[in-house]
Amino acid sequence: MEKPPGPCCGTGGTLPAVAEELLKEMRKAFRETSHGTDPFSFRLKFIFGPSAVPALDLVDQRSVTRVVSPSGRTAYQVLGSSGKLYTCYSSCHFCTCPAFGFTVLQKSESLLCKHILAVYLSQAMGACQELTVSEEQLTSILLAEEEDEG
Amino acid sequence: LQLKKSSLRTSVAAASISSAWLRCGDGFQNTSMLEKHYCKFSLDESEFIDWEKDSDSTDESDESEKDDRSLEISDTDSCTNLNSLPVQEENDELCKLAEISEYSSDNDYVEEVDMQATDPGFIKKLQSSFPSSVGEVAARPASDWLKSAQALLQTPKKQSGKASKTPEDSAKKRKLLRGGLAERLCRLQNRERSAISFWRHQCISDAKIPSDKSGVLIVKILEMFEECMIQVAICQQLEESPAIISSKDLVINTREPIIKVLFARETAAHLKSRPQDVIHIYPPWQKLLLKNADIPVIMNTYFSQKVLLSEHPETSKTQGPTKMLIRKNIVSLAQTFKLDDFDNKQPQESPDNQVRLIDLVLTPAFCKKLASRSLGAVNDSLLEMVESQGAVGWREVQVRVVIQRVYYLPAREGFRSQIQGNKPILFYRLCLLVQDAYGMFSEVQLQCLESAKDLEQYCKRWEGKFCCLAGMKILQRTTRGRALGLFSLIDSLWPPVVPVKVPGQSQDPEMMTTNLPPPSFCYVLTVQSGEIHMEVDEEERISDLYQPPTVRSLKEILQMSGCNERCSFWARVLYLRPQTKHSVPVNQREMLLFVTDFTLQSVVRGIPKVVAVSVTASCVLSTEIIEALNVASRFIFFKDALWGNGRIICVERTVLLLQKPLLCSAADADLSELPGPVKLDELDSTTQANSICAVRGTVVGVNESTAFSWPTCDRCGNGKLELYPQDSGLLYCSQCSEVVISPVLKMQLEVFLSCPSQSPSTVKVKV
Repeated sequence: MEKPPGPCCGTGGTLPAVAEELLKEMRKAFRETSHGTDPFSFRLKFIFGPSAVPALDLVDQRSVTRVVSPSGRTAYQVLGSSGKLYTCYSSCHFCTCPAFGFTVLQKSESLLCKHILAVYLSQAMGACQELTVSEEQLTSILLAEEEDEG
Repeated sequence: LQLKKSSLRTSVAAASISSAWLRCGDGFQNTSMLEKHYCKFSLDESEFIDWEKDSDSTDESDESEKDDRSLEISDTDSCTNLNSLPVQEENDELCKLAEISEYSSDNDYVEEVDMQATDPGFIKKLQSSFPSSVGEVAARPASDWLKSAQALLQTPKKQSGKASKTPEDSAKKRKLLRGGLAERLCRLQNRERSAISFWRHQCISDAKIPSDKSGVLIVKILEMFEECMIQVAICQQLEESPAIISSKDLVINTREPIIKVLFARETAAHLKSRPQDVIHIYPPWQKLLLKNADIPVIMNTYFSQKVLLSEHPETSKTQGPTKMLIRKNIVSLAQTFKLDDFDNKQPQESPDNQVRLIDLVLTPAFCKKLASRSLGAVNDSLLEMVESQGAVGWREVQVRVVIQRVYYLPAREGFRSQIQGNKPILFYRLCLLVQDAYGMFSEVQLQCLESAKDLEQYCKRWEGKFCCLAGMKILQRTTRGRALGLFSLIDSLWPPVVPVKVPGQSQDPEMMTTNLPPPSFCYVLTVQSGEIHMEVDEEERISDLYQPPTVRSLKEILQMSGCNERCSFWARVLYLRPQTKHSVPVNQREMLLFVTDFTLQSVVRGIPKVVAVSVTASCVLSTEIIEALNVASRFIFFKDALWGNGRIICVERTVLLLQKPLLCSAADADLSELPGPVKLDELDSTTQANSICAVRGTVVGVNESTAFSWPTCDRCGNGKLELYPQDSGLLYCSQCSEVVISPVLKMQLEVFLSCPSQSPSTVKVKV
């Protein structure tokens, strides 16, 4: 049903702007009353589809940790439902979970995986746990996947 | 079509399916309507499967991870629900029959299907009977359908495996946290889903466009592409549906607004739209205005319907199967979302949605907006409104109340996420204390703002006026024991100055209300996010119920008995002493204000000339006040400060204003002037710590051993300057992160005074 993807140009890039706006609204709604996020979470569902509920679940479970090092570098670690820890980057949309590799990278069927969405939602609602680590530890977190695959 | 899962898990009971049809889950009142028009349904009824599968995943979150996996065939294929089977069978069967009048035989057929549903052979039989109708719209080849149907029948339990699965999938199915965000969303979406499916059936049954046009968005698609499974359609918004749609109508009327409409995957599949199609989008849809784009984005377009091009459904069917190629946009991953925005503006500036708080006056445009919003009759009981919450039409009920007080409350701290770190930012919530005609109070929490300004304006414009509230949400019902601060304010407004109504009794104008006990509970209401449901009638007179603050003199206050009483006064602030360090965040700053007024200055003895008023962190000072306090000593009006234990403190709900409100019941003398230059008490043995006093004496000595001076930053007052690393001749302030060019030199000196009144002792003054 789809042509092979063409160059991303002109009218492209709608969804990220919409998603960003949505997350901003959620953050604002969360500040006003903690129950005010319901209509926005419904929009979240519209845009992000099946990732919305699992992402919210990760937020409920406080699974997102922001890892900081003294130099100011950050990364996010999300505890998945299986107990496995996935790393999400701050500077671009990347997650070490297989769903990301498949759905986002390979198939371009989704903007984010549920972990990255959970990171944003946790930011929006102040639900991120904080962890300070040394430079070496952060480096190893960022490089960890390579080591595993290697 | 939400058949109960449990019934499917066990077995397909004989009566279950057909009766399930009849008693169908949410909102299907009339199944005959459904069955009539299944001809028009394509196999994209597989949407139902998708949803139902998703609804399974409400309980087990990993189920939805399968959705993350995009399978070659759409999710609908991994139908693990027996639900889907009879639906499709019905569909096919009825399509074949294609006549509405044969409903009775359909019914029979339903039951027959029902009983034999477990027989795989039966499926094959069905399949062979209607090869063409099944493939009405070739969303999937029929053989796939058959395969999945067989799979269904053989394993009524959920399929747990499909292609690549992460370890998470195989993990134990987890229930969602009760009361958590995820669970709430699930419940919301389940409700929506059933509403959507019901609506779709409704639409099919009325082949013509439903007459209810309110809120319907009519769009004509100009261009379509896909991004991450969402179909984006660039459309023209039409005023009304064109009577005749001809495919030759390619002229784009540039005057009509262009909008972008997003369709979810299922909706897009249902619509099968192509450029030049006209789509009706029924509410509730949502409009989003992006900051940098002119084009509004429409989403939550679940209730969409395509206007059929011709009268004959069959011809449209034959047009349907041609696959349409859609361009797919790849979204770059390099761009992350920035959630922090530093401006106070609401993201949606659309006039439909937002009215700036300060502009909430009855302008003509606003009146028009009010008129268009169909709000119901005006009530005057808060309790009734609260109790009718959730009932049908409660949103339209308006309650008329009197605004007694306006103030800011410190709100939750938010976090501004940045790459570098989370900086806490403070929010202040504008609140109103309102009272209805029955004397009941309520605190209405309005928007959270990043800075507490314009409070004086709000007070001036709103206090004492009538206000209509609608669609409020109850945040909590608080009691005296739990909210002492709120109730001390309520007590200061009790008893009401005019008789209040008593529910249930005929209104006796002579009824005395002084015997009514003060309220013991109070509802805290909040405005629905994003919408203002409060209209203040600023033009109208002040309500009789309004009790302006009683201004007392400081002398009177100091002599008051009682504890935790709210009091208001007009006084001159002589000196501000911060009680907390500079480094403490703004919302935790405390300070002492040394104030005096006419009465204290005129007193000879007995009470101090200057009183220290302590301002706690919970008292929100508006930005104008803070500026004023820092500049010079001036008169400030303290509204609703708390008096207790011999001290005046400013707590939450205390408001400091620069001007005395016009309406306050003033005391006798004009207190706005001091009798002369400020006099302070002399230092003596009774002087208490933390008070201001005057000392006069002759300098007799200086303690040189403890004298020293140090430079401070002229910008922020930071006393700990460092040497600038690059150039040790310069000083550097780490708080401002800048070099200090002209530091302010501070000195500490201990001076000994000999005071005639204190002789023979000497007084040591630390300067």
